[in-house]
Amino acid sequence: MTDMTRISRLALALSGALLLAACGGGSHEGEAAGEAARRSSSAGLPEGRVAEGEQLAQTKGQATGQSCIDCHGPDGNEPLDPTYPRIGGQYADYLAHALLKYRDGDREHALMSQQAAGLSDQQIADLAAYFASRPGQLRDLEGVQ
Amino acid sequence: MTRAFTIAACLGLALLPQALPAQTPSEASSGASATASTGLVGNPENGRTLAFTCQGCHGVRGYRNVYPHYHVPLIGGQSEAYLVNALREYRQGTRKHPTMQSQAQSFSDQDIADLAAFLSGLKK
Repeated sequence: MTDMTRISRLALALSGALLLAACGGGSHEGEAAGEAARRSSSAGLPEGRVAEGEQLAQTKGQATGQSCIDCHGPDGNEPLDPTYPRIGGQYADYLAHALLKYRDGDREHALMSQQAAGLSDQQIADLAAYFASRPGQLRDLEGVQ
Repeated sequence: MTRAFTIAACLGLALLPQALPAQTPSEASSGASATASTGLVGNPENGRTLAFTCQGCHGVRGYRNVYPHYHVPLIGGQSEAYLVNALREYRQGTRKHPTMQSQAQSFSDQDIADLAAFLSGLKK
């Protein structure tokens, strides 16, 4: 066996091993990709559950003594204060993003920072899914002249 | 191997929206008088003109932010005072978003009041 042949065989064996490794890992990556597709946002949140979100939206936060709907109104559509946003029918991934920012201290509000501080990723996903599922008065600017 | 290609194809599709160029709305024109006072009364008609620049992102149905990847929010019909605060916070840098901070830089207090008056008045 010449040196060249030996090197060729070695290269072939190596590439075969790499191919097997790539295919072997494929199924796991496939599951991961499927999981990612079900998530509600790029933040890597679990899938939001509307029913759980509805319950949580009516639960008083420990720090503020207020629930979501205490301030944002039924379905998130009747804010108690003019500076509070309407959140009914808003995009779930945007709502989740806002809550994550408040929780992580990247966005600040006297009430919302405290309200979001104790929320888990799952709770944020649930609340976002619930308010996004509500009928709302919000709209995009498509066709607005 | 087929699976690997399928995964690659899925990833490609998932990344596609992010590959689209971010739209940079043209700079806002401002004919409104700028004042530093608070509690300004917004002029929705001037807001309508200024809001042209919002269309690049908020006017595209289902448009998603490039990174982090989420839908740009629905802002038509939003609370007026909330919109004023949001734009001021972006202008001050206390609320962070590259495009919105850049946009808000060009707005006076009166512009912000006008925009908020217009946007909050939009009906579904």
